[in-house]
Formats: sequence, C-alpha cells, structure tokens
Amino acid sequence: MSGQPSGPVLEIAGLHTEIRRNGAAVRAVDGVSLTVAAGECLGLVGESGCGKTMTARSVMRLLPAGGVITAGSVVLAGTELTALSERNMQTIRGNDVGMVFQDPSSSLDPTMQVGRQIAESVVVHRGASRAAAAARAVEMLSLVKIADPERVARGYPHQLSGGMRQRAMIAAALACEPRLLIADEPTTALDVTTQRDILDLIGDLRAALGMAVILVTHDLGVIAGRTERVAVMYGGRIVEQAATSAVFAGPRHPYTEALFEALPEMASSQPASRGLYSIPGRPPDLVTRSPGCSFAQRCRYVRDWCATHEPALDGDHPGHGYACFFPVGVTGRARGAGGQDGAGGGVTPVSAWVSGRGRQAAGRAATAAPASTAAEPLLRVSGLVKDYPVAGGVLGRRSGAVSAVADVSFELLAGQTFGLVGESGSGKTTVARLLVGLERPDAGAIVFDGADLAAMPARQRRQRRSGIQLMFQDSFASLDPRMRVKSILSEPLAIHQTVRRRGYRRQVLRILDEVGLPADAENQYAREFSGGQRQRLALARALIQRPALIVADEPVSALDVSVQAQILNLMRKLQRQYELSYLFISHDLSVIRYMADTIGVMYLGKLVETGPAEEICTAPGHPYTASLIAAVPAVVTGPEMTRPPLAGTPLAGTLSAGTLSAGTGQPGMAALPGASGPPAAGPDPAHPPSGCRFRLRCAFARDVCAEQEPALRPHAVRGQLVACHFPLGPATAGQVAGQTMPSIA
Amino acid sequence: MTAYLARRALQAVAVVLLVTLIVFGLIRLAPGGVTTAVLGSGSAHQQFLAQYLTWLGRVLSGNLGRSARLNESVGALLAASLPRTLVLTGVSTVIALLVAVPVGLLQAVRRSSAVDHVLRGLTYLCYGMPPFVLGSVLILYLAVDWHFFGAEGPQAAGVGGVIADPRDLTLPVLTLALVTIATFARYMRSSALDSLGQEYVQAARARGGGERRVIVSHVLRNSLVPVVTLIGLSLPQIVGGALVVEILFNFQGMGWQIWQAAVNHDVPVTLGFTLVIGVAAAVGSLLADIGYAILDPRVRISRP
Repeated sequence: MSGQPSGPVLEIAGLHTEIRRNGAAVRAVDGVSLTVAAGECLGLVGESGCGKTMTARSVMRLLPAGGVITAGSVVLAGTELTALSERNMQTIRGNDVGMVFQDPSSSLDPTMQVGRQIAESVVVHRGASRAAAAARAVEMLSLVKIADPERVARGYPHQLSGGMRQRAMIAAALACEPRLLIADEPTTALDVTTQRDILDLIGDLRAALGMAVILVTHDLGVIAGRTERVAVMYGGRIVEQAATSAVFAGPRHPYTEALFEALPEMASSQPASRGLYSIPGRPPDLVTRSPGCSFAQRCRYVRDWCATHEPALDGDHPGHGYACFFPVGVTGRARGAGGQDGAGGGVTPVSAWVSGRGRQAAGRAATAAPASTAAEPLLRVSGLVKDYPVAGGVLGRRSGAVSAVADVSFELLAGQTFGLVGESGSGKTTVARLLVGLERPDAGAIVFDGADLAAMPARQRRQRRSGIQLMFQDSFASLDPRMRVKSILSEPLAIHQTVRRRGYRRQVLRILDEVGLPADAENQYAREFSGGQRQRLALARALIQRPALIVADEPVSALDVSVQAQILNLMRKLQRQYELSYLFISHDLSVIRYMADTIGVMYLGKLVETGPAEEICTAPGHPYTASLIAAVPAVVTGPEMTRPPLAGTPLAGTLSAGTLSAGTGQPGMAALPGASGPPAAGPDPAHPPSGCRFRLRCAFARDVCAEQEPALRPHAVRGQLVACHFPLGPATAGQVAGQTMPSIA
Repeated sequence: MTAYLARRALQAVAVVLLVTLIVFGLIRLAPGGVTTAVLGSGSAHQQFLAQYLTWLGRVLSGNLGRSARLNESVGALLAASLPRTLVLTGVSTVIALLVAVPVGLLQAVRRSSAVDHVLRGLTYLCYGMPPFVLGSVLILYLAVDWHFFGAEGPQAAGVGGVIADPRDLTLPVLTLALVTIATFARYMRSSALDSLGQEYVQAARARGGGERRVIVSHVLRNSLVPVVTLIGLSLPQIVGGALVVEILFNFQGMGWQIWQAAVNHDVPVTLGFTLVIGVAAAVGSLLADIGYAILDPRVRISRP
C-alpha cells in the first residue's frame, strides 16, 4: 500500500518456537524476525514443514501440544505478546488479531449456526447482547458479499459451498475489526475462480479496515499480485525477505529461485526434455542442528564453505535481505568466503522466464508431434452420461437426478495426455470413475483399444480394464495403512493374475526402481513415506499392470511445488519410456498446460471446450475457459503488482474506524457498509440451467443461450471445439479476461 | 427435519413388525404345543399367516398371553416388573451420564495428566470387572461389613415400593451405574479428544474464546453425538433390565422375571418379554436418530 506511512503493527524479533514431543524438540521456528506495517500485506512462503504456520500460530500463541516459545519477542502495536498471561492473550485473539484457516470445511463448527460463530468474538470481547451479536453477524456476512445474509446467518456450515464457508470464516475473523489478519493458506482448498474472489475480498477488506495482513501460502502465484513484501521461509528461518517486486524480479536465495523454477509456468525457460527443476531431498527435520546453511544439502550452488558457516539474513541493499553466501544473480560477490565467486551468474531472472512463456508451446509441440498422426485413438469416449439419483420424501424415493456427466465425448491417442480441467463439481472425477469402471455410465460408449467397455459383459470388461489404471488424489487415503508396500504393489498382479506368484517380488522391485523409490521400501508402510513418495507409490501401483492408460485424478494437487515438479517429471519420463497415455485431471491450469497435449474443459457435467493445449491456454474460445485462465494467479511481475489495491471498490474510504455505530448499538463497533455483490447463484447440478449451462455466470449470455443448448462445434478460426453460441474471437478474448464473472463462492 | 423423522419412524414400525414376526416364529418352533396353548385349540389347523395375524391382533390389543405356571397374564407380569426395572436402570443411566460426560471431558482436556491416568485406571477397572464381582464386593463392604445399605434390592411391590426404599435401592443402582459410567466415560473421552483436535476448536480459540467457553459451546455438543448412539443402543438394556444385577440383588424386575421364566420353561412369558425388549430396541434407535438430528444439523435434511 502506497500512501499510509505508519509504524509496524507487528514486530517479531528473534522468535524461537519448539515443539517438544517424546523427548525430542523440533525447532519449528528458529530465529524469525519480521515486521508488518499497518495496512501492509506480507506474504510468508515456503514448502510445508518450513515453519510458516508455526510462525503464524506463535503470534496467536495457539501452538499444538508441546509447543513452546523459547526465545524472542512478538510485539503487537506496542504490547509484548509472549509475556502476556493466557487470560490477557485471550483479549488479543479475535480482537486485535484475526485468523483464517486453510480448510473452510473443518474450521467452522458443524453444529453451530454460522451467525453465532461469526459473532462469537463480538460476544467475547465486546459483551454484545444476543440481538446485537446477531445483527453484527448479518452485517459481517454482507460485508464479505454473501447474498441473503439473514438466511445464511441462521443456517449451518454444511449448507454453504467451500467459498462461502471461507467468506464466513473471514467474516468471523474480522468481526472485531482486528489490526492484523493472519490468513493461513486461505485458498489452498478452493477452486481458482473462488480463490481469486477470496483473495480479492481479503484485499478489499484490508483497505477498508486499514488492517495489516499476513498471507501464509505455499503458492507463489497467490503472493504475486496481493502482497507488498515477501518472506521466504526454509527450515524454520527466513531465508529471503524483500519487496514482492524485488523477489519476483530477481530472487537472491537459491531456495527462492528453486521454488520459482519448479513452477510448471516456468517450463518455458528450459529445454522441454529436461522437465521442471525440482529441489532434491527433503526439508531438514529441525530436530538435529547441523552447522552451516540449512539449505546446503539441497542447494545446487553449494560450496564447502556453506557446510560449516551459517549465513545471516542480510542483503545487498536495505529492504532486500537474504541468508546466503553465494546469492543468485549477484556476480563477483561473496561474503565471508574470501575471494570465491558468486555462484548464480548464469541464471536467468524470473521476469525473463515469464516473458518467455510462449516458447513452451514450441517445446511441447515438438515432443508431441510423432504421436499425432491420424491413427485409431487409444480411447474414444462418446456421449457419456451419468446421473446420480436424488432421494427425497418420506419414503426415500427417487425424486430427481444430479446430472454429473452430460454427453461428454473426447479422444485420446496412444502416448498422449488429455487434460481435464474444471471447478469442483464439474464432473471431472465422475468421468475418471466411469473410465476405470468404478461407476457404470447411463449412456454412451467408452471405446478402449478397439472395444466398447460400456457394452461389454462384466467379466470381460474387468479383464480389459487392467489396461486402464487409476491414480488417486489423496495418496495417503488411497493406500491401505496396514499393508506393506510389497503387498500394495502386488495386489493388482494377484487380482488380474497376469504374473505368477513367484514373479511378484521381481515386478515390485522393478517398479519401485522405475518410480525412484529404494528397494528396501518394499517392507515399509505407507505412513513412513512423505507426500511425494506416497504419490510415487500410487503411480507404481497404477503402473505395475503395464497399463496403456493411467487416469490420474488430481495427482499433484496436495503436493508442494518442488515435489509436484518431481512427480510431473516422473510421469512424463514414464510416458516417454512406455508410450503411456494419461487422462490427467486437475483444477490447476498451469499443471494441465505443462502436462497435456489436448485439453478438455468441463463445466457442470458438460465439456464446453476441447482442443490442443496451447491453443486453449493462449486463445480460449469459450467464455468459461477464458475466465478460468483469468483467475489463475499469474506469477508475473508487472502492472498487477503495483496496482493500488482498492481504488474503486465500494468499500474504500467509507469507514471511520472505532466510531460508535448506530447500526449495531454496540460501543467500538464501526458500521460496515454492506457491499452487496451480485447474488451468489451457485449452479445446481440437480436443476441445471436451460440451454447453455454456463449462461448464468456468463458475461455474454443472450436470450438464445437460455433457449438453445450449444453443441461442441469447431471454432471458426482456431483448432478447438467450442460449445458456445458466441465463441470468443480475437476481438472478444481480452474483454473477458478483464471482466469479473459473477461469483459463485 | 420432519421428513427425516417421519422416514425414521416408518423404518422403526417396519422393524417392530419384523420383531413380532420373529417372536411368533419362535412360538411356532417351540416344542410342546405352545402355539395351541397361546392361540387356543381352534388354531391348530390354521395356516401360519392366519395364526400370525390372530396373534398380532391380540398383541396389539394388549393381550400378550398367559403364564400357566404363575396363573397370571403376561401383561400383568410386565406391568409389575417393567416400572421397577425402569426405576433401577433409568436412575443408574441418568447418574452414569451426569458423571461420565464431565469425567470423559475432563480426561480429554487434561489428556495424559495425572488426573487422566487415575480416571482411566478407575474406568478400566469398572469396565473390566464383571457386574456380579463388582456387586458382590459392594455388598461385602457397604452392606455386610459397614451396614450402610441393604444387601438386597427393594422387595416391596410396585414402583412405590422401590422408590420408598432408597437404602436398599442404592447398591443395585450403584453397581449398574459404575459399569455404565466406565463405558460412557471411555466413549466420551475419545470423542472429546476427537473434537478437540478439530480445526474449528482452534478457530474458536483464535476468536478469543476462553477455554471454558470453547469447551462448552464447541467441544461438548460435537462430542455428545457418539454418546447419544450409545444411549439409544442401551435402551433395550434399560427396558430389559440388568439381568445379572437383578438376580444378584434379588430385585424383581424384567431381568429377574425373564430369568425365572427361562429356567421354568415358561414360554409365553419369555416370548412376551422378548417382544417388549425388541420393540424397545427399535424405539431406542429411533430416539438415537432424533438425538442426532437435534445435536448435528447435518443430519437434518431439510433447511431450517
């Protein structure tokens, strides 16, 4: 924020937090110092296990069992929080500092009315009466742009969508107008379009209430347009801290650089065959303290010096600090190491990678070319339909149907990847379940390897299906916790009886090696592996049958970027090796773009656009695709960075903080102007809109869209098929990107 | 909500009908011409369905048959023993709930503390000890040695006779309550631990709620859901009586009566009582469902 000079709201100095459990102490926060000014937004980034969340929880003093702040100070607006009694600390929580959690489905009490949870802090801190609390809840709900706030306040969390729950959570955190909002991965569990809405909302409220925000996230894209400053954490410490624009223009710490390079968006800067850069190894365990730089073991520029000396967080000019002896992008500069050269001279700054995004197209096309001859496709899905019955009434009879998949058709060539994108509830996962036979289609054909699986008798179908394997999103939940790896991996062999029992072990060892796991993993259990390793196991289980097609349902969405890069690279390597085909499902367009040759975009059970990946990502033909692309938080430095966060929003400048409001009659509660956004008309798959299912959220909808359902037709000038009466041409594409879609959050 | 409850009630009716069918099947299978004894000699040549319907009609009008041995109607025996049992098991269940819910909650909040360990030891002890051992120990010390309470349950007839004799009622109630407390507290502890680990509890703390507030308004209600199931499932025991305890204390309730009937091959009484307990089981699970719906809004299908 540009014009608001004021002292820091939060000053953390030398903070050390330990989690003591079973005699071992994990140094979760290991000497963190940072400040957040009033009205400022600080981004806290890093892989999981790097201490971001523990830093945030230390401020609130809400640590898990065994958590202790062992040293350092946390000063909030002049008050030293670490010295406060628990009782006094309670007067800070929710009053001066509000907190939003990651998963809106678990952070709201399922048995308590939404309104009461929102008003809880007002009741606790201001002693609000029942009526005043209820009024405040409604006021807060309209502030976070929820339609019909009275009804929502009386309802329960399960009646709200994920985005609406997160709005309610924000409303609850802000009910007392705190000076500081800590948002811990607030959008990680949400769709891109919802994510954008929520981040916009936090930005708007920040300006309206003049509060400081700490945005904890693993997603650099989220940080990009939303924060003034960034602190990158690694191993419980801040390794780089600077203005967001400075970090994006040229990261200094090799870890920050590696995080950027692991993003699928960054693939363009590298030869297509090399794959994404991934950080080898794992974050340090934080129990044993080793001398030297904690990142040394995973750093590609590591030198002898790093193993014995610990870098301090200082930098080349004020405002940009980094803890590295051999910073990236600084040539001829080496501190303390006496005469050694800086290491990262040849590395391109991020901004240069970004400008080279288009090159990715050429790289991909080159690798994909050989397969794209006009052969019989490996998989041809046509007219796929799946409805789920809805039970209702006293007798539980079928009273309607949810249309999960409605007339979906696409083709997939051998050795290629079909990427399926869409928001949650669009039917992506149902398509996956239909393909692997976990569900039976109500209509349509699934022609795999020349035979229609949907029309086959069960026994035959099962045999055929061994050629299609599924890879689940949640690798932890999909691996039996009581089975050893060797049993997990040989189970498919036993089911399909393609190999004799004696041959199991050889197969298991072979597949472990292929997915990059050590041979002694065969006797371990799933819980002994990290998230990335578990996803390797999941891939191994899918691969052991030597399938021709792997259906991967959000295989990397639960992983950190660096690990995500490892898995994506591995999947591509195996694809080249065995001419595997993937049906790759993801809500993340940049991942899909990196992996897929062809993309299908789904909306409410319909395939609204399909065609070559690059074409769709650079020149979408359907307004929905365009809005999905516009919602992706871009890792771009540029005008978006410096955009004044809130000019023109209905909230700006209407608040006089701390005034007594006539509206609620409670001292110290300012009246918040209800910024009523467009009605949150969530699409109801049980009653899809007539005509085009997207029309309610479409900026271009006209009468014909309600009357006639658009069919998938070839686009007039481009290579893709689009189901739209008014497909976007070169003239209209930009228009949509700038336009905000009515929110369904 | 209404539709949900109506659906559950319909299911309960279906279950009850099934129970009657099974009980009647048992009557038919019982040796020694029980069917004829129950239905009268005119029924001997009737089809199964006709017999069943005749019997069902009688049951519905309150005629559960007659005990030839005691020369009394089963209905009269029920009327004598059911209220006595309800006092015994009802009082001990209420006491158990009042003790177990706070105990389990305390254990969860002070997890792995000395309090938790001691209480856990005690509940394990009560849980693991058979009621006849526990009851005998209580009789030995509290009645025989120290004369605080009577060693036998109240012997006077009717509910009045039971209530009017708290000195004799104490030990059976205590024995039953201790066993029930142990079960309930263990459930409550684990379900409260579950709730305490939930993110919404953290979120409530982050709003500045004190620990007491967080526990009372967020943890308690969520933790009670599994306990409600347990209470619903224990209704057949509440109605059927605690057999062992009733025999141990010579308390003439449902359990004692069934035991007598079983020992003396008094088939009409055994079956009549079984039917009542079966109905109680159906009603119990219906009540548990209603409890769910009250505690957990996700169960209610319709919007408020």
